[in-house]
Amino acid sequence: MTIASQQGPQTILDRFAKLNWGVINILVILALIGVAMHFSVSSGAWTDMPLTHGLRFALLISVVLIAAVFSKVQNFWMELAYPLYGGALLLLIAVEVAGATRMGATRWLDIGPISLQPSELMKVAIVLALARYYHQLDPRRAGTVLWVIPPFLMIAAPVALVMHQPDLGTALMILFAGVTVMFLGGLLWRIIAAGAIVAVGGAIFAYTNILHDYQRDRVNVFLGITDDPLGAGYHVLQSKIAIGSAGLFGRGYLQGSQAQLDFLPEKHTDFIFTMIVEEFGLVGGGIVLGLFGALLWLTMQVAMNARSLFSKLTAAGVAATLACYVFINTAMVIGLVPVVGIPLPIISFGGTAMTTLLAGYAVVLSIDLHKERF
Amino acid sequence: MSKGKRVGSTLPKRDANVIFNRRATLLSFVGGGVIGSIMFRMGQLQATNLFSGEYSEAADENRFDTRIVAPPRGVIYDRFGTVLAQTSKDYQVAVVQDDVDDLEDVVDRVRRILGLSAEWARRAIIRVRGGSRYEPQPLQEGLTWEEFNAINVRLPELRGIVAQSVDVRAYPYDVVYAHPIGYVQKPTQRDIDRALENPEEGQSRAVYLRNPHVRVGKAGLEAEMEPMLHGEAGWRKVIVNARGVEQGEDERERRDPVRGSGLVLTLDHDLQRIAMQNFGEQSGAAVVMDIYTGDLLVMASAPGFDPNEFVNGIGREPFRLLNEDEKKPLFNKAVTGVYAPGSTFKMMVGIAAKQAGIEDDWAVGCSGGFYYGGRTFHCWRAGGHGRMDLHDAIKNSCDVYFYQAALRAGPERIASVARQFGLGQHFEVNVPNIRDGLVPDPTWWRANRGEEWTGGLTVNYGIGQGAMGVTPLQLAVMAARLGNNGYAVQPRLVREGPGIVDPGQPLHMSGIEADHLARVRDGMFGVCNEPGGTAVRAGALELVRHPETGAAVPLTPETRAWQPVQIAGKTGTAQVRALGSNRGRHYSTIEWRFRDNALFCCFGPWHEPRYACAVVVEHGGAGSAVAGPIAKEIMKATLLRDPARRAPARLATLEQQMGRSA
Repeated sequence: MTIASQQGPQTILDRFAKLNWGVINILVILALIGVAMHFSVSSGAWTDMPLTHGLRFALLISVVLIAAVFSKVQNFWMELAYPLYGGALLLLIAVEVAGATRMGATRWLDIGPISLQPSELMKVAIVLALARYYHQLDPRRAGTVLWVIPPFLMIAAPVALVMHQPDLGTALMILFAGVTVMFLGGLLWRIIAAGAIVAVGGAIFAYTNILHDYQRDRVNVFLGITDDPLGAGYHVLQSKIAIGSAGLFGRGYLQGSQAQLDFLPEKHTDFIFTMIVEEFGLVGGGIVLGLFGALLWLTMQVAMNARSLFSKLTAAGVAATLACYVFINTAMVIGLVPVVGIPLPIISFGGTAMTTLLAGYAVVLSIDLHKERF
Repeated sequence: MSKGKRVGSTLPKRDANVIFNRRATLLSFVGGGVIGSIMFRMGQLQATNLFSGEYSEAADENRFDTRIVAPPRGVIYDRFGTVLAQTSKDYQVAVVQDDVDDLEDVVDRVRRILGLSAEWARRAIIRVRGGSRYEPQPLQEGLTWEEFNAINVRLPELRGIVAQSVDVRAYPYDVVYAHPIGYVQKPTQRDIDRALENPEEGQSRAVYLRNPHVRVGKAGLEAEMEPMLHGEAGWRKVIVNARGVEQGEDERERRDPVRGSGLVLTLDHDLQRIAMQNFGEQSGAAVVMDIYTGDLLVMASAPGFDPNEFVNGIGREPFRLLNEDEKKPLFNKAVTGVYAPGSTFKMMVGIAAKQAGIEDDWAVGCSGGFYYGGRTFHCWRAGGHGRMDLHDAIKNSCDVYFYQAALRAGPERIASVARQFGLGQHFEVNVPNIRDGLVPDPTWWRANRGEEWTGGLTVNYGIGQGAMGVTPLQLAVMAARLGNNGYAVQPRLVREGPGIVDPGQPLHMSGIEADHLARVRDGMFGVCNEPGGTAVRAGALELVRHPETGAAVPLTPETRAWQPVQIAGKTGTAQVRALGSNRGRHYSTIEWRFRDNALFCCFGPWHEPRYACAVVVEHGGAGSAVAGPIAKEIMKATLLRDPARRAPARLATLEQQMGRSA
């Protein structure tokens, strides 16, 4: 092992060349698939969705590459973890106090012309903060009940605030990412078992006391308690029709009748995977799922190969967030889980999920660059 | 917090990296499992579809919509091929709200192109806002070809505006055929409910009737001949989006509609128009009939209305005005109006009296009244007519003679003769709301009035008053059967069409003796042509017949030497109110609806009868003064035109021509 390798790549070009191009290439391919699908959503027009999507990705990935090349893990990302988490939590509280309400939910902070969604910032911050917590905790203490309390509160506070907005999907994702980091950080199995019991009880409590009517309707339809094809179940029914009638190779690009004739709702955001399957069939859907699988696998490889627990937990946390997006979205469009408004990252239209995830990958790429040292 | 040093040594040793790698591997497998189950579920959905086809069917059900194409309606022709009702193209400018950015702006631009008022634009916007967002809403109908083109060339700058041509039923002679032909309208909820009563085809029929372009016959022949005229609907299988807006069509699944069958009527357009014109502002009906074939050459009811206003839905206020008008323009009075026949009934009484055995020289002295059963029955002429036989009694319309003749004949015989001549009988002429009128007799009286017939009723029967009522159509049939010497001719309105059979030669009526008929006909001739006859003015046709061809021509100094063309007829003035209440009052002082009905019926030409005519003018006053002149003009036109001698049009030929031009 040379000094240079122990110190990490030295020159900027050297570091650029040593970036994890597998991860980057998959991200680019997914974004291009997104551009192609938005071209179809627009019935064959470049303006403005396909172009906007492509340009937005190009801009963000450039920022990600620059950040990855120039940032350090130990002296930057880990130092940033707690301030970032604290800031995100303060902003969530600010949303609660003075947030902008749109479409019945208070999720945004309007600061001049910029509209900020602090819950998205929290998706990354929770991973970094918990990774730092477990990195600095003695592994033997990680197993004790007392040292479970701080991370539990770190997760519970933002989840409660986001649930109250209300934004069930984002709250679930923060919870899932946080719990994954805790699990990988060394949580004892008996505490996990106790937590699972509490979680089931909490879910039942949430269903009866916390969920809003529209959310409960969706759960009811999913569980088969109510059958309402034109209400909450309409989206999933139309999605299942599109997927079921697609066949192995689909109806052809620009030819999916369910999507092109507007029977499929939200086809440019939450139901874009349905459109992919309708037009490109089981094979097309499988390829997209395979690409996400490969991205997850490469991200886990980064985590496995990193030296420090902070790096490992952060990379795994980003992977968990990505998995959460992909699994909930795809399971939702085929009717395996209730409808929660979670997009398919990088492919769905919209800047929020793309920004959040690519921010995570800026850290992941940086970790990969420094994996031998930290 | 610094790690490591102060941790109690009792805790078991744990290596964070080992734990992480173990658990990360575990999670990776879980993630792979989730991806696998999502793939499995997608495959399962498609496998389900492969076996049941349920998702493909649902997608097709979403995507395809069967749009009904209303068939062109059959054309209605007069006997010589004049088009009286047709399906024509209506050019319209319409707007699809969903495609419009600024409705007011785009309507205003259309307004300027068509040169319409700001008020029009205001109303159009209100109407459009009340309608569908995705289907074209008409802004202005009935555009000329130039206006239609002016819109068409500017379409690129008029987003959301469409120029369309739509099939509409058109009645080119509007008011003239409002009653016999009627009109079509959008099916009402009642039509749909009635269709649903049919358990087999009700459902599909109801769906068809709800189609916005479907019209069904609502009055006249249009209603009665609906099944023949309507034609067979076609359909188009179109691709629609989630809002139901058409995106394309599967042309292989298309079925073109089949045009409805045409009808050739017995009416003669020229005569029908002249008849309608002659009524002017008056209310009443006229019927002209071929006395051998039964062809109705005229079926006029006045006042009329414009059936075109009904086709796209008449407004509430115009409809209210028509519906509440005391002259009842919406009624086809030729078959729906029931009137006391008055003196036109005297021929029936005369024949019945002859059947009862009165001698040719049986005569009655008229002193202006007849005392019977404790009261005096007056003659219309207060001073009396003096000595009257049957001929003179008809000619002068002497009431006293017929009071006594009725007593000689008896009510049963009178009723029987009247029914033989068509009064109180049902004649199916393919229009709705045909009323049968009433010819009462003692049996009917007992059954319906619960009391015995009296001699006084018989006396009244003699002058066509009392409970009896006849329609103008029946009056024309009576005149026709008198004119053809007792043949039971049946009237008809449709010459050719599906299900219409030729009536064949009419049979001679049993028990009607030529001698009896001749006496009565002579009297009718006297009415119109002999000095003192009640309708000599109506009889003065001023027509002569060509010595070689026999055709009627106008009387001029050159044709003075030729034989005159004459008619035979009878006037009638029937009281609407109880006898006597209006006596001695001038007509202009009596409220319109209480004035007498004026009637006239006749046949001609006398030397060789061919046509019969009946005219009723509601509340017109004396028959000779009001109904006679109208009948004279109609008869004169009929005799000059002599439609029975011209070759009628053939439906097959007309349909062929229509097919070529379409």
